[in-house]
Amino acid sequence: MLNDAEKKRYSRQIRLFGEDGQERLLRTSVFIAGAGGLGSVISLYMAAAGFGKIRICDCDTVELSNLNRQILHGSADVGRAKAKSAYESLTDINPEIEVEALLETISEENVDQLLQGCDIIMDAMDNFPVRYLLNRAALQRKIPLFHGAISGYQGQATTIIPGKTACLACIFPRAPPASVFPALGSTCGVIGSIQVTEAVKYVTGTGKLLENRLLFWDGLNGCLDEMACERNSACRECRDS
Amino acid sequence: MLIALPDGSRREIAGDIARIEDILKQLCINPEEVIVAKNGRIVSEEETAGGSDELKIVRFVHGG
Repeated sequence: MLNDAEKKRYSRQIRLFGEDGQERLLRTSVFIAGAGGLGSVISLYMAAAGFGKIRICDCDTVELSNLNRQILHGSADVGRAKAKSAYESLTDINPEIEVEALLETISEENVDQLLQGCDIIMDAMDNFPVRYLLNRAALQRKIPLFHGAISGYQGQATTIIPGKTACLACIFPRAPPASVFPALGSTCGVIGSIQVTEAVKYVTGTGKLLENRLLFWDGLNGCLDEMACERNSACRECRDS
Repeated sequence: MLIALPDGSRREIAGDIARIEDILKQLCINPEEVIVAKNGRIVSEEETAGGSDELKIVRFVHGG
């Protein structure tokens, strides 16, 4: 049951999915991989929306060049661990939820431990090798992975439901070449917000998810586009699931 | 075959059915950087396309 303060705090979204939907959000434990551009938008909106437990993980410290887009962190945080400023920002925006901010590099060795107890995974990474780790962990645990990525004015998003949709490796069988990418805060805003919307819909059982659909945002031309995808029976990651 | 390229331009290519991998090579596009949809559905490079097929080639991104 929601208390009076929760009913008031979440009143405008309770109109969308009822108190039952809000209670489901409060019972949901989220893992956010990364506290950078996408992770900032994702974690702030998830905290504000009342996802009950947020575990956010990032191994970096805040740099001045992050501040054009990484809105979890402020000028005074330069040189501090992103996990620390993330914890402060998220508990400030919503002190009623549980926040755990970890200063860790996500690896094959620790991914299982990091995901312990989590119901959903938010992809806010900046590289495909770690995304593949998250994808594999999502498949093993049978929990959804909400994928998003950006570069410059461009971004993409999709929702991966193990056993039901194409997995990340079905859609992107190999990682693109590593490179330094241009980044605009508002592109992170668009894609991160789509990912959070997907997570809200998944948890509350509302709307139509981006299942087997890869959504593209082209901010330069103001266009949204999508491509259909399907499970690859020969996929190295999900063929047996 | 009508092809929508990553830069937004469109190109009509006549000829026999070919593997997507070879079409990308012909267009000087690095297959590691793109995904290809044939008639709206993402396909692997091993698939073939030709005739009245419509291909869309999109550069996907990896940043966060």
